[in-house]
Amino acid sequence: MSFSMKEAGKVTETFSFSEQPELENPSLIVGWKHDAGGLSRQVIGHLNRAISAKCFCELDPVRFFSLSGVTIEKNVARFPEGKFYCGKRNDLVTFESNEPELERYEFLNALADLARDHLSIKELYTIGGTVSAIAHTGSRELLAVFNQPQLQQRLAGRGLEDLSWEGSPAISSYLLWVAAGRGIPAVSLWPQVPFYLAVSEDFEAAKVTLSFLDETFELGLDFGGLDDRIKDQNQKISRIREEDPDVEKYISMLESELSLAPEERIELTEKVAAALEQQV
Amino acid sequence: MAVRVHHEPQLKDSAMLCGWPGIGNIGINAVDSLRQALRAKEFAEIEPWDFFDPRKVIIEEGLLKDLEFPTNRFYFQRVAGKDLIFFIGQEQPTEGRNRYAEGKKAYRMANMVLDVAEKLNCRRVYTSGAGVAQIHHTARPRVWAVPNTPSLIGQIRQYRNTVLMSDIEGAKSHGVITGLNGLLLGVAAKRGFEAVCLMGEIPYYLQAAPWPWPKGSKSVIEVLAAILGLKIDVSQLDALAARIEQTIETFLDNLYRAEAIPPQVKEEIEKLRHTEPAAPGPITEEEQKRIMEHIDELFHEGGWKGDRNF
Repeated sequence: MSFSMKEAGKVTETFSFSEQPELENPSLIVGWKHDAGGLSRQVIGHLNRAISAKCFCELDPVRFFSLSGVTIEKNVARFPEGKFYCGKRNDLVTFESNEPELERYEFLNALADLARDHLSIKELYTIGGTVSAIAHTGSRELLAVFNQPQLQQRLAGRGLEDLSWEGSPAISSYLLWVAAGRGIPAVSLWPQVPFYLAVSEDFEAAKVTLSFLDETFELGLDFGGLDDRIKDQNQKISRIREEDPDVEKYISMLESELSLAPEERIELTEKVAAALEQQV
Repeated sequence: MAVRVHHEPQLKDSAMLCGWPGIGNIGINAVDSLRQALRAKEFAEIEPWDFFDPRKVIIEEGLLKDLEFPTNRFYFQRVAGKDLIFFIGQEQPTEGRNRYAEGKKAYRMANMVLDVAEKLNCRRVYTSGAGVAQIHHTARPRVWAVPNTPSLIGQIRQYRNTVLMSDIEGAKSHGVITGLNGLLLGVAAKRGFEAVCLMGEIPYYLQAAPWPWPKGSKSVIEVLAAILGLKIDVSQLDALAARIEQTIETFLDNLYRAEAIPPQVKEEIEKLRHTEPAAPGPITEEEQKRIMEHIDELFHEGGWKGDRNF
């Protein structure tokens, strides 16, 4: 007895190509908009600029978002989107998208089908910041989750920290699971983001991620601009620490690996976010 | 989207009992307690991925081991010559952000459940949920019964501790059953199945509480057991009900003492303590609204929640 009703993952209904790039078993790097520390936007943006990438394929959002209006971000109306980019490297494709609100399984199946059947990808990388109780002055670990041990072994010794976790799944883990069902090797990269930078931007976490990708794909990335932004942000936070004794106290506690109470975490996040916003 | 059948039982003239989560988890706990008491065996499940997002990821030493989805399983058992099918769904499929089933997915799931019922020669389906009532938590909950055909009304009138919508003060034989417990009744009628939804009463000031309401489940089980001619040991539910009742007493007591809710709200809740359920409501709609505003706020107060996930 079986009652199959439909096959999931209809690529052509989900994505439309504006051109067919010539690719050679590329790696696909997937980032989700609005992740912690604005990580995906920074990393995908940096990569796209480095390889002079252009959009060649776009998501039709109608089945995956409620589309009950538009959001306004930094004074501008934003519509949900998902775009594939490629450039002068024929072994690298990036995809940046809003996380689907509806039909996530169908969305991820369509994405994995497109990656395997239309782009013939070799492997899949997802990136996303993970909110952590660390100080911005310390180093960021780059946590990793693999969907098969072979890729894990191949990337061993590159500074990735193996993660153990049971809990609510992020969309990247869901994508890894869907990719595993198609035999696509995949890894999720999770750089730590200090919780008080989660709603702002964490340039250091972006640099940690980009450094790993730079080494893995031999991209020869220029980090000059990013280093300037890291320096600038650190100076701004130093000023807040000087001006506000509570901010100084809380960050010092984090630097000493002491934990903060929930209300202290909220206060620190609000103060840092407000100060960084003002100083933009 | 499919039903995976591990073993196809040969049944005739069977009845199906369905349970999904809802207010106080009255329905699912009633049906699942019955399933456990009768030791019904799993024989099929609905594949979850098109209906639900995963609930949990398991990652060990850098390797993704598994994703866990809500389960939707069928069980069967033959008791005293009667074939019983149980369906337990851990979540209701939704298409928006609502808690209860709605839209195409809910309609598809209802049809898939009934596909199995049809295949196994089932003609009568029972669903179960909560009847939000003006009763006190110390009262014995009644069971509201809604059939999907007028021809069942006569039978329902013979069930003990059971009322039709027309018997409920203020309902005037109308109402709404949200989610799959209600939708299944409609789809069943469309496909020619007889169906009845049995709703255990829950005090309206507890409808947003984080606890289950086993007293409501017990009332439903008693009605189902009588209909099906079964003897069911409900001592576990009794023990749980006693514990929860004590928790509620303590919770309300603390609120009264801390003056977290106004004295008049306390008076209004206490009015219900000595009132017979069948009597006209002892408090007005205005009073009910005032209680809900305060109690719901208190149930929904929570601390800082981290949004970390992988």
